[in-house]
Amino acid sequence: MRRLSRMFTILLAVVLGAAGTVLAQSKEPVKIGLSAAVSGGSAASGEAIKRGLQIAIDEINGKGGVLGGRKLELVIRDDEGNPQKGVTIARELVEREKVAAVFGGLHTTVALAQVPVWQELKVPYMGTWAAGTNVTRNGQTPNYVFRVSANDDYVDRFLSRYAMDALKKGKPGLLLENTPWGQSNEVGLTKWFGEKGVKAVGVERFNWNDPDMSPQLLRLKNAGADLIVLVANAPEGAQVLRSKSKLGWDAAMISHWGISGGRFAELTGDLSEGVTFLQTYTFFGKQNERGQYVLKMLRDKYGVKEPGDVIAPVGTANAYDGLHLVAIAIDQAGSTDGPKVREALENLKGEYKGLIKTYKHPFTAEQHDALTDEDYVMVVWKGGKIVPISMK
Amino acid sequence: MYGLVALGYHITWATSRTMNFSQGHAVMVGAVVAYAVFVGLGWPFPLALVLTLVALAGFGALVERVAVRPFFLRASPAWLLATIAVGIIAENVAQLTFGKDARAFPSPLMRKPIILGSAGFYPQELLVPVVGLLLMGLVQLFYHRTAYGKQLKAVAWNPEAAGLMGINIPRAVMASYALSALLAGVAGVLLAPLLNVSPQMGTIIGLKAFAVAIIGGLSSAPGIVVAGLGYGLVESFTAGYVSTRAREIVGFGLVILVLVVRPWGLLGEKPSRRV
Repeated sequence: MRRLSRMFTILLAVVLGAAGTVLAQSKEPVKIGLSAAVSGGSAASGEAIKRGLQIAIDEINGKGGVLGGRKLELVIRDDEGNPQKGVTIARELVEREKVAAVFGGLHTTVALAQVPVWQELKVPYMGTWAAGTNVTRNGQTPNYVFRVSANDDYVDRFLSRYAMDALKKGKPGLLLENTPWGQSNEVGLTKWFGEKGVKAVGVERFNWNDPDMSPQLLRLKNAGADLIVLVANAPEGAQVLRSKSKLGWDAAMISHWGISGGRFAELTGDLSEGVTFLQTYTFFGKQNERGQYVLKMLRDKYGVKEPGDVIAPVGTANAYDGLHLVAIAIDQAGSTDGPKVREALENLKGEYKGLIKTYKHPFTAEQHDALTDEDYVMVVWKGGKIVPISMK
Repeated sequence: MYGLVALGYHITWATSRTMNFSQGHAVMVGAVVAYAVFVGLGWPFPLALVLTLVALAGFGALVERVAVRPFFLRASPAWLLATIAVGIIAENVAQLTFGKDARAFPSPLMRKPIILGSAGFYPQELLVPVVGLLLMGLVQLFYHRTAYGKQLKAVAWNPEAAGLMGINIPRAVMASYALSALLAGVAGVLLAPLLNVSPQMGTIIGLKAFAVAIIGGLSSAPGIVVAGLGYGLVESFTAGYVSTRAREIVGFGLVILVLVVRPWGLLGEKPSRRV
């Protein structure tokens, strides 16, 4: 009898032990990668994306994680806005860290360089910022590149309509950075202005770290531009404003969203006043439930006191919604297997009441941008803060 | 604006026939140190300026001691690589301590531009050439009117004779490096409000200043001053009337042209042919 009970104990121990390892295995965290510039002139963008992801991850983990109890874990790598570095990081995240999906940062140049890596390794990529049209429209099937962010093509349609309908301007001068991102917008702006019979009076370019944009601005001014359409990141955007003030030129200026990234307000001071640009989301005004939650988390975790203190808001908002969509897809796929998650993303069931909007079947095999120009908002720099403009 | 930095190449060349290729990075160090003291610690500007200049003179002396003297004494041209290495180290140290972000350097001369007709400028932009020319004049006075300046020149003419005359040659070379870095530091402080402060700001300035030094003639201070002004004018005319993208092409094309036609520079002395 005693012997029997001892055998029973041993048996119980073995069974429990085995169950323990199985449980531990299933509880292994699901890693999510981030490749973004967390240093350099655009460091604020990387920080904002990181915050959005972390808030969503903590929220999901608080409710038990994904796949019936596995926690999400964020792995961050600094790509410094450098395409070569981006490619190295992409491989490292997948091959060494075994991430289930990777989120991207601000630079279109990096995002484009990474596309072949995701395709080759079959890992879903979720863009949270870089807006280059051909990042998602990359001609690949099946396509592993998704995005919850702006797409230059939609941005250019949005900006050109804002210029013509709201501002009633008909002589735009384009001022673009001399990169694939600038190129992507030259194509889009020419197309969408052209659709209404408007032609840019001039197209000027500048390089990264150029100190003075007066010659370009002067040529646009002499060409009779009544509106500057700017595609630039914060450091160059700041020099454009300085040069513009130097010329004493008070033409209106609308901008793609790159200037919300770095220390634009610090670099420009008063000059940023009145510069209008586009966002996918603003934390100003009435917030939905998610908005209130994210703001509360930003306050509790990162000491953000009011909406105007949210750095690079689009990064946080896009990343937050993007992560929720990926988590839903992982649950729907029942696995972290790349092809299965990609398929789930393209066929998301039900709806996700997100921060930016309610997503109903956001991606299809053809459409890999969850947001379009119907979801964008126009904002303006006022007193060093981003303030929304009420549309129409 | 390049003239002041380019003059630094001339100063060390004139005493020791060596050059500090981290001259551009010295500009950056000047801007970063000034930013750290003036904006970071919030000390008054004159104090920040003095501290920056002292730090830069120290930087120059250090470059000479570590990267030039060991090779200079052996008449080895390795100082060339060694000074470039110092520059790269300086840039990376700045990235680690200062961060990679460009930061704004406040200046009362940047608040409002002066507008003349269809063009304009910030008072700060005027200050750069004014201070630059003033300093260049002072350097010339120092070389031609003071005993120590004359000693430095003597070292350049004939190191052996100068040594025999009781001039401490290593110290003279070190002094010339300190002086050249100090000028770069002044340039850094002057340029900081215009270009913003960042660890990467020095590289292109150093290159262009070197171009100016070559065009003007390494051995001729007046030549460098003229070339500095000329180079700036050519740059802005190219950018204004041709294209911004042609600016660097024209500028550095000029350097090659000068090297082919007048290798000793516009106002440099033609070296006597040695057989």
